[in-house]
Amino acid sequence: MLGKLMKYEWKATWKLLVSANALTLVMTILAWCMVKMLDRAGYSSFRMMDFVAVMVLLTYVGSMFAVCIGTTIFLIHRFYTSTYGDQGYLLHTLPVDAHHIILAKLFVSAAWIIINIVFIYLSVIFLFASSGEIFRSMMSGMADAIEYLGAGKITAFTVIMTLFAFLFSVFAKVLKVGACISLGQLSSNHKLMLSFVWYVAIYLVEQMLQGVYFAVQILFRERITHTPQYTSYFDHQWETTLLAGIISCVIFYLLTWYVMSRKLNLE
Amino acid sequence: MTDGTGTTKERENMLPVVQCMGLTKTYGRKIALNQIYLNLERGRIIGLLGPNGSGKTTLIKIINGLLRPTAGEVLINGQKPGVDTKLRISYLPERTYLQPGMKVVELVQYFQDFYPDFRMDRAYDMLARLQIPPQERLKNLSKGTKEKVQLIMVMSRDADLYILDEPIAGVDPAARDYILHTIVSNYNHCGSILLSTHLISDVENILDEVVFIKYGSIVLQAGAEQIRQNEHKSVDRFFREVFAC
Repeated sequence: MLGKLMKYEWKATWKLLVSANALTLVMTILAWCMVKMLDRAGYSSFRMMDFVAVMVLLTYVGSMFAVCIGTTIFLIHRFYTSTYGDQGYLLHTLPVDAHHIILAKLFVSAAWIIINIVFIYLSVIFLFASSGEIFRSMMSGMADAIEYLGAGKITAFTVIMTLFAFLFSVFAKVLKVGACISLGQLSSNHKLMLSFVWYVAIYLVEQMLQGVYFAVQILFRERITHTPQYTSYFDHQWETTLLAGIISCVIFYLLTWYVMSRKLNLE
Repeated sequence: MTDGTGTTKERENMLPVVQCMGLTKTYGRKIALNQIYLNLERGRIIGLLGPNGSGKTTLIKIINGLLRPTAGEVLINGQKPGVDTKLRISYLPERTYLQPGMKVVELVQYFQDFYPDFRMDRAYDMLARLQIPPQERLKNLSKGTKEKVQLIMVMSRDADLYILDEPIAGVDPAARDYILHTIVSNYNHCGSILLSTHLISDVENILDEVVFIKYGSIVLQAGAEQIRQNEHKSVDRFFREVFAC
């Protein structure tokens, strides 16, 4: 049943999200043309067409933000209406387990978020690559960043684990929104407002825990080396990200499942 | 699956299709259902009758697992609401639950994918008789037609229990007869229909049994014919007397 739920979740979301990525593509091509135009004209002289080019580039940046924010809002709206809105009457009377419902929504939403991120990254890289000068400075900046993060520590294993850490952090973000919307359903009134309150509360707790973790880490390191110092991300930082992602996933998943299977309260 | 006493299905058939035991639902201080004890037998068309706000929809949602009771228990075929009971109940809610972007043909496929007892040929036959084009998107259909599409989906299953919440409330009187005809001629006759409505005169003729619900309590459960014989009046007339303001 999980496969069928995913199929219909995909069908219900693909049109809008493909349109969002198509917008990214169109804006990238337009921005690429403008970068080429600016490149040819040289950055010292400024003409009317340069003004148009700058405006197009600004629109490009704006559209990238719009795609990210729009996708997020769409996926949240989709989760809410299909799970706890009128469409929830169909979803929750299907002969499927709450686990399958949550997993189907998680996998499809995460897939779209990752597709969007990859598209935007490719777009930015393509754009920078179109201008030789900017591309060279970007590559040198990236090399510095990798060096700072600990180039010597990069292995296939750390790269794979970093990708896993990224994947779980995306899962955790999706599940957090699902958990907050679900927790909001525990109230008889103002369910959406309560969902937002839950989100803010969870965000504050996360920030507090993160602060405590870094403080403890710095203190611990000072006691060993007597100097607070930055250690390589690729040395062991990914472990923290991965662990935090997995713990968040488990907590938010269980909260959503608990509300869906034990406290469902459709209006 | 057999044992000394017969198959699971045979054992289930000996049980009432729905058993409510002390079912209570409260919203804060408001009592929506108050200690309901109710058994619904198989092979009957049962009217769940009561004025607005009497608790009909709350009871129906609990049976469907869309609401959790505050106290008490409901069993369907002897089981608590869950995946297994959802396989056996065909539910028509009082609201439209369709995805507007879906085509009718996609909705038929959706039901076919999830419900093993869904009869696609029956669905297309009913759609054709109502002249609803399968390629039409649901968002382009009128409210009444959407309700008919939902009813067709629900009645195209061979379920043990059909729960229809106000199936004729939103349609014109001319369409009501068609809908009632659709219900009576398409349900699985080994199963039961629980039909909630306050438009009693329209449904009276198809009911075998009625359950009157008032302020969250069951005030009467009796055969429709029994009421007509004992009270010498129609169920509709009797209802108006019981629920007179």
